[in-house]
Amino acid sequence: MSDNNSGKENWKKGVEKLLKGGKAESLNRQSPEGFEIQALYDSEDVSKRNTDPGYPGEFPFTRGPYSSMYTQRPWTIRQYAGFSTAEESNKFYRQALEKGQKGLSVAFDLATHRGYDSDHPRVVGDVGKAGVAIDSVEDMKILFDGIPLDKMSVSMTMNGAVIPIMAAYIVAAEEQGVSPEQLSGTIQNDILKEFMVRNTYIYPPQESMRLVSDIIEYTSEKMPRFNSISISGYHMQEAGADSALELAFTLADGLEYVKTAVESGLDVDAFAPRLSFFFAIGMNFLMEVSKLRAARTLWAELMKEHFQPKNQKSLMLRTHCQTSGWSLTAQDPLNNVVRTTIEAMAAVLGGTQSLHTNSYDEAISLPTETSSRIARNTQTIIQEETDITHTVDPLGGSYAIESMTHDLKEKAKTIINEVMEMGGMAKAIEEGYPKRKIEEAAAIKQAGIDKGDITIVGVNKYVNEKEDPVDILDIDNTGVRDGQVNLIDEIKAKRDKVATKEALLAITEAAKSGEGNILDLAVEATRKRATVGEISTALEQAWGRHTATNQTIKGVYESVYKSDKGYQEIKSKIDAFSEEEGRRPRILVVKMGQDGHDRGAKVVATAFADMGFDVDVGPLFSTPEEAAKQAIENDVHVIGVSTLAAGHKTLIPDLVKILKKEEAGDIIIVAGGVIPVQDYDFLYEAGVSAIFGPGTNIPKAASKVIDEIRAQKA
Amino acid sequence: MTIDELAKGVQEGKRRHLAKAITLVESNREADQQTAQELISKVRSAKETIRVGISGVPGVGKSTFIEALGNLLIEEGLKVAVLAVDPSSPATGGSILGDKTRMETLSSKDEAFIRPSPTSGTLGGVAKRTRESMMLCEAAGYDVILVETVGVGQSEFEVASMVDCFLVLMLPGAGDSLQGIKRGIMEIIDILVINKADGDQEKMAKNAVTEYQNAFHLLTPKYDGIGVEFLTVSSIKKKRIDAAWEKIQGLISVLKEKGIFEAQRKEQELNWFKRLVEDEVLRRLWGSRENKKHAEELVEKIKKGEIAPALAAKKMLEK
Repeated sequence: MSDNNSGKENWKKGVEKLLKGGKAESLNRQSPEGFEIQALYDSEDVSKRNTDPGYPGEFPFTRGPYSSMYTQRPWTIRQYAGFSTAEESNKFYRQALEKGQKGLSVAFDLATHRGYDSDHPRVVGDVGKAGVAIDSVEDMKILFDGIPLDKMSVSMTMNGAVIPIMAAYIVAAEEQGVSPEQLSGTIQNDILKEFMVRNTYIYPPQESMRLVSDIIEYTSEKMPRFNSISISGYHMQEAGADSALELAFTLADGLEYVKTAVESGLDVDAFAPRLSFFFAIGMNFLMEVSKLRAARTLWAELMKEHFQPKNQKSLMLRTHCQTSGWSLTAQDPLNNVVRTTIEAMAAVLGGTQSLHTNSYDEAISLPTETSSRIARNTQTIIQEETDITHTVDPLGGSYAIESMTHDLKEKAKTIINEVMEMGGMAKAIEEGYPKRKIEEAAAIKQAGIDKGDITIVGVNKYVNEKEDPVDILDIDNTGVRDGQVNLIDEIKAKRDKVATKEALLAITEAAKSGEGNILDLAVEATRKRATVGEISTALEQAWGRHTATNQTIKGVYESVYKSDKGYQEIKSKIDAFSEEEGRRPRILVVKMGQDGHDRGAKVVATAFADMGFDVDVGPLFSTPEEAAKQAIENDVHVIGVSTLAAGHKTLIPDLVKILKKEEAGDIIIVAGGVIPVQDYDFLYEAGVSAIFGPGTNIPKAASKVIDEIRAQKA
Repeated sequence: MTIDELAKGVQEGKRRHLAKAITLVESNREADQQTAQELISKVRSAKETIRVGISGVPGVGKSTFIEALGNLLIEEGLKVAVLAVDPSSPATGGSILGDKTRMETLSSKDEAFIRPSPTSGTLGGVAKRTRESMMLCEAAGYDVILVETVGVGQSEFEVASMVDCFLVLMLPGAGDSLQGIKRGIMEIIDILVINKADGDQEKMAKNAVTEYQNAFHLLTPKYDGIGVEFLTVSSIKKKRIDAAWEKIQGLISVLKEKGIFEAQRKEQELNWFKRLVEDEVLRRLWGSRENKKHAEELVEKIKKGEIAPALAAKKMLEK
């Protein structure tokens, strides 16, 4: 040890000489996760943490769930995709499978997520947006036409309308001649995180947990090759969580699901081996590699401690990963290919079981054929052109990686313990604890970016002055909707009305009584051609639709800025406006349509309030009518529309029209979020005063908004 | 928009005009204040209305209760205005107003008008603005005005002094539930509602009612012969909201029978007049630059011991 000690002392001296008198410790950095990242790790750091990663395929699985890992078979390339209609999506899937993709991952449109059929009046702007519209088993059959479901593993991102979608999948397979036993794949079915970040829930938490439990029960009996749940941290990171929060809340969610299933009478070994996980991989390379290793270790430990399973497989954390969508920029979008590659490498070196790589244009719109090809090839290149797959856990034993794996694990454990003290994740969510933590992290990060403390190339540093336009895919939302509505009408005309009605009634009854398996009943109703919306409504009749309590935080954004000169300038500008106007500038931050991603809206709300705006926060899932009414009653100067799912071309012109009708045409509209440059002129024409794309500096945006209000008044 | 157009719009019940009128009332600009007074005298209405104050600690479910009650009133054919007062104003910066996210169905209805207001730096405080906004809503044809306030600080008393019925929401807390209630508040309550009486909390809520009944028994009633009413509801499950409305209506008709209703409103107006005079005196006293300067000089002298406080006060007022 003495050699090592003197070695480290020598290293320190060397560093301090280079720093011209500065301390070596000054190079250490505090991570957002709340522990120190050392400038150098050595064997002593590993030994003092008393951590032994062991061997792959063995408890606690730090080095991988399987012994051979990629040396035998690489991870599954699983690209998440869905294009408006079942026909389009089917065509895309078939092409991708030919080009080396191994599994399918279905993205549903927003209306489907929220359990609405395409003909519902609330979803006019949402049909075919962000994924495929599925209204019935007929759509599902088209989606998988020519794709043998007994051979193809299918992953479905569905949480809210999980019952009718699972039912449609099972019945579509049945009518293909494939029995449930033969089906393999994953349903996301992770409702807890929806209440925290993604907001595509339908029913209240307790009732939603019953659905999770019914699905776990159904699949453990009838679908042994199917993963009943994919416990997801992805959306937490996308909403702003750091790696420790993402890790902790995801595993805590996992524990809650296991607890619920065990309490409903299932043996832990009957379902735990079919639990799967889903993490986001962002740009902090070493941290993300460590996160996956820490996740496996901690899950194995927690499962052993709380549920004592007999089957080793119940301790194994298997995960899907997706590169971070949030890290992509609308500016200089080809840079995103590089970002995605680095993130993919982290996922692979962390030992993921399957991976989705984002397309470079996803910060602007849905991927095009070119961008999806490059995204897919990013993975095939790593798999087939590099030597990374030839060695299991090649970073294992790295002083830095082993130390960080340990530190992150400990940090997450502390957070999980806090959650446990609150009575578990369901309770913590009710109290709004995780949501608040994540939103705080998001506001701090945004302030760091706006201030320039965090670099994002092409956004706040090395900005490309002349951007070339990128080809994008535009969805004819109205056309898709018309097609879907026709199909629904056709189905409803042909089916046995009485039988459908009875099957739906049975669902409502089971929901009320707490008896029976709801998925079982939904499969029956789907056979009778009940639609996705009808099955959702049958449950809604018993349970109602859940409305989230909207918590907002204040002061966090300002805390990062405090003494920044530019920030103080904008504050003074707003104060001056208030003095003249007799009140503060008032803005309604609103999300219209069925997209529930509210990170952007939340961050803008809290930052604008800190800068001196009075901010009204609109309910999620508003219609243009509702947004206009709220804006008028609160007499706001400006409406800020947050849009991420391309509904803006329908919803914003509607909003303008309604405002004019109500003699409120002087209320200014600004838009922010994922808006393709190609749409800017359309929106300006429609009456939008300013558009803020991804990566907008918030104080600058606030200043611009004040200018626009003044211009309107003049 | 001229003041006549604005007044006409308010009287026709136009949403846009009512909202603009409330902005005027809330404005910190001296000129707006005058216009606002003119407007109020133009639109004053003799319409029969019910004014209800609704208070409770954060998290008790005020918004959810108002959502349920408001929807019920609309079903009965009434128009409902909700004024939300939040006294927890930040020292600097703006506010975040998220009330409507909790009144999702009510806020989308044509018969409802909901206006949450920030409080930072409002001239004349919460009471002035809310009282005047309430009058505007009545002029615009709203039958029931619900004034929501967080149960902290002075705002409860101010709200109670401008409504016909003051309703307080409580949680079905165990045993020591009385701790959450201030002595002074008990004396202004007309109806005490235990919210969240659903599921396994139902029994707890009933016990709480008994406890409160015992505690209130010792108090002198607010009005002779009219006791405080108690009930349990579940706003989220929409249970017994109709009973709450019946209690409110019951109180109003008893007050009317006994002639208290009109007398109380008159008294509230008189108090309001006194309050306005006092506010204006204080504003003139501290508002002028000259007076401010004079006061500062006197303060300095008191600090140095050059003048006694009583004499300084006399000098200040003589000026």
